Amino acid sequence: MKRKRRNVAVIGSGMSHFSSHREEVNQPEMIHEAVVEALDDAGMTLDEVDCVLHGNMELFEMVHQPDMWHAIASGVWGKSGLRLTTGGTTGITLACAADNLVASGLHDVVLAIGFEKLQEGHTTGGITNMADPLWGRSIQTGALTGTTAQAVIDEFGEERAKHAAMKMRIIMDEHAMLNEKAHRRLGLDRQFIKEMADNSPPLVGELRMLHMCSQSDGACAVVFASEEKAEALGAAPAWVVDHETVHREETLMFSPEKTTMRVAAERMFTRNGITDPRRDIDVFEMYDPSAWWGLDWLREFLLLEGDEHLKMVENDEIRIDGAFPLNPSGGVQASNPIGATALVRVAEAAMQVRGVAGGHQVPKPVRRALASGFGGTLWTVLMLLSREKPVLGGHCDA
Amino acid sequence: MTSRVAICAVAQTKYEADKWDVRMQGMVWEVVKQVRAQTGLDFGDDGIEAAVTVSDDVFDARTISDSAVTDVVGAHFRGEEKVASDGAQGVYYAVATILSGKHDVVLLAGHCKESQAASRNMVTHLAFDPFFTRPVGLDYLAAAALQADAYMRKTGVTEDQLADVVVRSRQWAAKNPVARDATPLTRDDVLASPMLADPIRESFMYPITDGAVAMILASEERARDITDRPVWVTGLGNCYDSFFLGERDLAGNFALERAAARAYCMAGIKNPVTAFDVVELCDQCAHQMPQWAEGLGLCAAGGGAVWLAEGGPDCHSVNRSGGMLAGNPLMLGGMARVAEAVLQLRGDAGARQAQGAKRALAHGCCGPAGQLQVAVVLEA
Amino acid sequence: MPDDKKAELIVSRQVLSIPQRFATGPIMGRFLAELLDNRRIMAVRAPGSRCLLPPREVDAVTMQEAVEWVEVGPEGTIRDFDVVYYASPDPLTGETRDVPYIICWVDLDGAGEGAPLWHLLDAPDPGKVRCGMRVRAVFNDERCGCMEDIRHFEIIEET
Repeated sequence: MKRKRRNVAVIGSGMSHFSSHREEVNQPEMIHEAVVEALDDAGMTLDEVDCVLHGNMELFEMVHQPDMWHAIASGVWGKSGLRLTTGGTTGITLACAADNLVASGLHDVVLAIGFEKLQEGHTTGGITNMADPLWGRSIQTGALTGTTAQAVIDEFGEERAKHAAMKMRIIMDEHAMLNEKAHRRLGLDRQFIKEMADNSPPLVGELRMLHMCSQSDGACAVVFASEEKAEALGAAPAWVVDHETVHREETLMFSPEKTTMRVAAERMFTRNGITDPRRDIDVFEMYDPSAWWGLDWLREFLLLEGDEHLKMVENDEIRIDGAFPLNPSGGVQASNPIGATALVRVAEAAMQVRGVAGGHQVPKPVRRALASGFGGTLWTVLMLLSREKPVLGGHCDA
Repeated sequence: MTSRVAICAVAQTKYEADKWDVRMQGMVWEVVKQVRAQTGLDFGDDGIEAAVTVSDDVFDARTISDSAVTDVVGAHFRGEEKVASDGAQGVYYAVATILSGKHDVVLLAGHCKESQAASRNMVTHLAFDPFFTRPVGLDYLAAAALQADAYMRKTGVTEDQLADVVVRSRQWAAKNPVARDATPLTRDDVLASPMLADPIRESFMYPITDGAVAMILASEERARDITDRPVWVTGLGNCYDSFFLGERDLAGNFALERAAARAYCMAGIKNPVTAFDVVELCDQCAHQMPQWAEGLGLCAAGGGAVWLAEGGPDCHSVNRSGGMLAGNPLMLGGMARVAEAVLQLRGDAGARQAQGAKRALAHGCCGPAGQLQVAVVLEA
Repeated sequence: MPDDKKAELIVSRQVLSIPQRFATGPIMGRFLAELLDNRRIMAVRAPGSRCLLPPREVDAVTMQEAVEWVEVGPEGTIRDFDVVYYASPDPLTGETRDVPYIICWVDLDGAGEGAPLWHLLDAPDPGKVRCGMRVRAVFNDERCGCMEDIRHFEIIEET
């Protein structure tokens, strides 16, 4: 039986301004915005931080080992540090690593920083560079695919599927309108669902411009602390209950029976006694790179069958004031500084648990929040946070 | 939950100038196969639970370089996390995943092919910021040259002494079957090698190298099942210096002193001068042998020249592998040091074995002129 | 910062690239040599396991080495496809492709269902492409030992 050595809490988070154009700051300056806000939020100074984690994807900005240059702004000077990168999941991998490093007893306070300045390179070209140079690079088109859209259309019919995907997109935008940090706040109007679904410029198949996430510049920083340190600071933190990473091989189209999303959720829920995720989890910050993926993965993450996930969207259950709020921040469709994006999911989930999400705070009490990351070749990372402090020893591997 | 973590198996490819005949996946598979054979472990909940990998997107010319090796590290529908730094940082993180209680058995696998890019210096040039330091033409070689110049002026270490460091590296490398370059050199040979960046001659700099390293790390309870010769990781520390070279004391050891102090504190080491039977330090460049020896506390600060003159490298059994100077790829410098330390503590170091070695110090570094420093204490 | 001030800021435009020389190794190397020399598509498999296409060193599911070679195709069935309307530059050349173009996953004859090959599909009317259509690989006359030796797949007209 595995036991976590000690409890770890999220005690603060910060985000830079997210935008498609941050020419007015360079990379370290942008990171510094997030670091300052995270430390302020945690009510601590840099002196109290033991270790700084740093992650992004190097070929987007063409900076090798950017933790070196960014040491002038990340706060790592004189401290321990570590650079981890796993593609789109980088941000939540940093969160998992921060949890591991604090739980291990090696450090008491770890600051995790994810960032991307996508405007400084070519995003789709950068993603395409993940394909094998010998067989995939001349064929791949970034992270764009219409196959999920087609699968949903095939299963539920064109009219219902296209309506549900655009409804998902509009709800995400309604949430983004409540979040002043969100990059894209479009003010989409529900009465034009059909027009938008039919007329938004197509990217790949039925994946249209409106469905797809943004390309953003931005940084996110999150402070993780030991139980002793968290409780000394007084304010109620968000406790890290558990995390799960599920990768898969690089060829995208070998289709095992289950997605990494479903497998990660099954493992996480089994370990933590979650039998009905819609009841047992109060809010979910999902890494939803497009409305179609967000819609399809809702079924996977919540272990649903049939058209339950479509109904949740059609009935507004996923709205901030609904039964199962999804991405009250507006999610990735609103803001996507890739190396930061998955850490933003953790930060947002923690803000909901801590009750500090301001204009996009879920109105119902939030006891448990789930955050997901997506990256690589359909990889998934999940992190579960709670208001109640986990009982050590109760956490064991299935 | 475990109180300490052991390295239960290590494997290294032969380090070579140009592994043109094998993909990076093939290099990694070669060492993963070896550590599986050494331990008899399979992948899964009862065996290797997850992987920590070490690689670099720019060296691999591939976004998400770890997605290329998911299959060969057994991470299909399992966990894998990539450390994009010196491989000694991979050891640090793999230990944390076990000490935390998250995992019991972890595979650590790193790869780097310096030969793939047209120029290693073009890769490390990109580590500099695009506004101030790239236009000046800095890369890690130029940064090391500025450091070497500052260090030699401060301490009086001579070019002859540095040439002898290289000669000694080749002598030990001849006893290490995985070493890349064991061609014997005389002091005159070294001093006749072309000047790359004054005062660094070609023979003073580690050569372009390809290779891969794998290890199995486990909790105390599992380690005793897996091997009867576990090597315990008893101390870990790392530290970053600042970025701009002009803001740093290039001849000093700001980051390394702190990294070492953290590792020694964890391992309960009071006097590093006498604490270690074997030391492996990451001498990417000949002057770093005495400079890092100072930083690790093997001799007094500023005492590197005297330490060399008095036979310090032999007294402290430093770099019996040949060291980084004999050739490891940049991302694996510290990881190869840890691997050699493990071989020494297990008595598996063959002709270069330090008899009865019980405690070893392994050092890694990366960034310009060693901006990030890592110290690892290992015990039999 | 106010927008009128932002407009005055200098942006440093640079093109950064490092020439690469990718090893192909014994597995991919043979696959590419077969395209070059024999216009043949070869897959590998571990004994008793699925085919791997493109061929790779290890079967990620069984963790066995893939050592058996199997000739597959050149005809097959479309498993799935993407019609791409977004003009993305080719990261290797910087050139922007004409749109729309079609990316397809083809279950090559003899490869089973676990190893669809990923390539381009040349179809005069993208609107008429369907999953399950029969296709064949079209090889270039001038080949260089690379994936692009297969120019694209084309639809086999029903007779």
